[in-house]
Amino acid sequence: MMTIFRYTLRRFRGQILGWGIALALLGMLLVSMYDMIAAEQEQFQDLLEIYPPELTAFMGDISTMATPEGWVSLEFFSFMPLILGIFAVLTGSGLLVSDEENGRLDLIMAHPVSRAALFLGRLLAFVAATVAILAICWLGLVVPMNWSSMDIGWGRMWLPLLSLLAELLLFGTMSLLLSMVLPSRRLAATTAGLLLVASFFITGLAKINENLEPVAKLSPLNYHQAQDAFQGLNGAWLAGLLGSAVVFAALAWWRFQRRDIRVGGEGGWRLPSLPFRRRAGAGS
Amino acid sequence: MSEETALMAQGLKKSYGKVRALRGVDLEVQRGEIFGYLGPNGAGKTTTIRCLLDLIRPDGGTVRVLGIDPQADPVAVQAHTGYLPGELHLDPNMTAEGALRYLNALRGNKADWDFVRQLTERLDLPLKPPIKNLSHGNKQKVGVVQALMHRPELLLLDEPTLGLDPLMQREVLALLREAKADGATVFFSSHIMSEVEAVAERVAIIRKGVVVEVAEPATLIKRALRRANVRFKQPVDISPLANVPGVTVLSQDDGTSVLLQVEGEMDDLIKVLAAFPVSDFETERPSLEEIFLAYYEDDQKEE
Repeated sequence: MMTIFRYTLRRFRGQILGWGIALALLGMLLVSMYDMIAAEQEQFQDLLEIYPPELTAFMGDISTMATPEGWVSLEFFSFMPLILGIFAVLTGSGLLVSDEENGRLDLIMAHPVSRAALFLGRLLAFVAATVAILAICWLGLVVPMNWSSMDIGWGRMWLPLLSLLAELLLFGTMSLLLSMVLPSRRLAATTAGLLLVASFFITGLAKINENLEPVAKLSPLNYHQAQDAFQGLNGAWLAGLLGSAVVFAALAWWRFQRRDIRVGGEGGWRLPSLPFRRRAGAGS
Repeated sequence: MSEETALMAQGLKKSYGKVRALRGVDLEVQRGEIFGYLGPNGAGKTTTIRCLLDLIRPDGGTVRVLGIDPQADPVAVQAHTGYLPGELHLDPNMTAEGALRYLNALRGNKADWDFVRQLTERLDLPLKPPIKNLSHGNKQKVGVVQALMHRPELLLLDEPTLGLDPLMQREVLALLREAKADGATVFFSSHIMSEVEAVAERVAIIRKGVVVEVAEPATLIKRALRRANVRFKQPVDISPLANVPGVTVLSQDDGTSVLLQVEGEMDDLIKVLAAFPVSDFETERPSLEEIFLAYYEDDQKEE
C-alpha cells in the first residue's frame, strides 16, 4: 500500500505545487492589501451598501469586511470550496478510473497488490495532496501577517481550512464513488462538478430566499464554515461532512472490490439510449 | 486436479453484456510446460488470461492457478505470476528503469537487479529515456522484462512478441525456453503460428469462446489437410483419384497435372497413383497456420 501511496503522491506533485502556490500567492496578496482596506473601511461600507442583495448573498456577512477575519473570509474562504472543489472533483473521479481508462491499471493489478491496498493507497495520497495544498495556502496567508496589521494568529487560520478540507474530502470521495458507478471518468467528473456548482448556488440563494432553505439543508456547502470557523468549528457539521466522505469512500471501495477491470480503449457500459436516439439508430 | 497442474479452467464463462466472450472454456496446463493459446482477435484469449488473474470475474466455471482459486486469493496468484498484457500501457513520463523499479516495488523488490540488467541487455532495451519516447517495440520489451524479472513460477503472456522485430521475437522465445528450463510454466496467447510452433509443447485453439482442440503442434500438423501436386507424362483420366477416400480435386490442367487436397494418411492415394504415368509428385507440409484456419473455415462459410 505504501508503494502505491508514494507513487500516487509523486504523481500529484505538479498539482500540489500548482494549486498550492497559486492560491498561496492569492492569499499573500489579500493579506497584504488588508491594511489599505482597514484604513478605507467607511468608503468600503458605503460601496457595499449599494451592492444588490443577490450578489452580497454569496459573499456572506459583508458588514465585517473590514475586520481581519471578515476580509479573508469574504475574499478567500467563501469561494474556495468552489475553486478547490474543481481539484477535488477531477482528482477524485480520476483516482482509479483514469488509469483504468488508459489501460495502466491492468498491469498494476496483475501485481500482488490487493484491491483494498490499491484503493487505500490512492485515497490516502488524495487526502495527503489535499492537505498539502491547504498547508501551502495556509503559509501564503500567515507569512504576510508578519508585515501586516492582520492578527488572526497562525493556529486560528487553520480553522476555516479544516472546514474546507472536510468539504474537499466529501466532493473528492463523491466523485470517486461516481467514477465507480458511471460509465466513464468524464461523466463522473461532470456530474460531480454540476453537484458542486449547484450546491454553491443553492447555499448562496437560500440566504435571500427562505423557500430554498429546506433544499439548502441537503447542500454540502451549507455546512462550510468560512468566517464562522474563526469563532470555533461546528463539530457536528464537521463530523457530518467527514462522515459522509467516509460513507462515499466505503461505497466506492465496495464497488471497486466487485467490478471488472477494463483494458485500455475498451470503454465502459453505456447509459441507456434515449427513445428518440433509439428510433434514429433503427432508421439508419 | 493434480499437483502437476499449473492451470485449470473448467466451463469458464464470461459475457460482456450481450457478447458471450467465453462460452465454457476447458483447459489444463501442466507445470513446466510451454502452452500456446491460439485464436484470432476476439476469440477469447485475453478474456481467459484476465479471468486467471482475477482482473475480471467469470460468470461461471472453475479456475485454479497453481492450485489457488484466483477469486479467493488473487494476491497469492499474482505473487507467483508474471503477466504481460496484450496492450501494454505504462506511465509515459517514467523512464523504462523507473517503470521497472516501480513494478518491482509492487512485488516487494523481489527481482534481482543484475538479472534485470541481463534481460535488458539481451533485449537491447534502453533504460534511461522516458516511456513516451520509446518505440512500440521497446515498450513491449519493458513489458517482457517486467513479466520475467522476478523469475515467476507461471508466465501469462498475451501476445508476447507483438511489435518486436524478428531478431527480438527470437530472443523473447529463447527467454521463454530458458524460463521453462528453470522450471516455470509458460502460457502464452498468440495468433502468430510460427512462434507457437517454435516453442509450444501443446497448443489449444480457441474459437468463439470455446476451446475446440488441444494437442501437440506436430499432432495437429499430422492430422491436417495437405496438398499434393501431381504431374503426369501424358493426359490421363483423373476420376479414379477423386474417388479415393479423403481426397478432393482442387484443380486440374488438361489431364496433365492435378492439385489434390488429402485428409489424413497418403497411403491410399499413392497406391492409386501407382497405376498412373506420374512424372512428378509434390506434397506441401501444412503449416500450423493452415491447420488453424481450417478450424475457422466453418465460421467463414457461416458468414
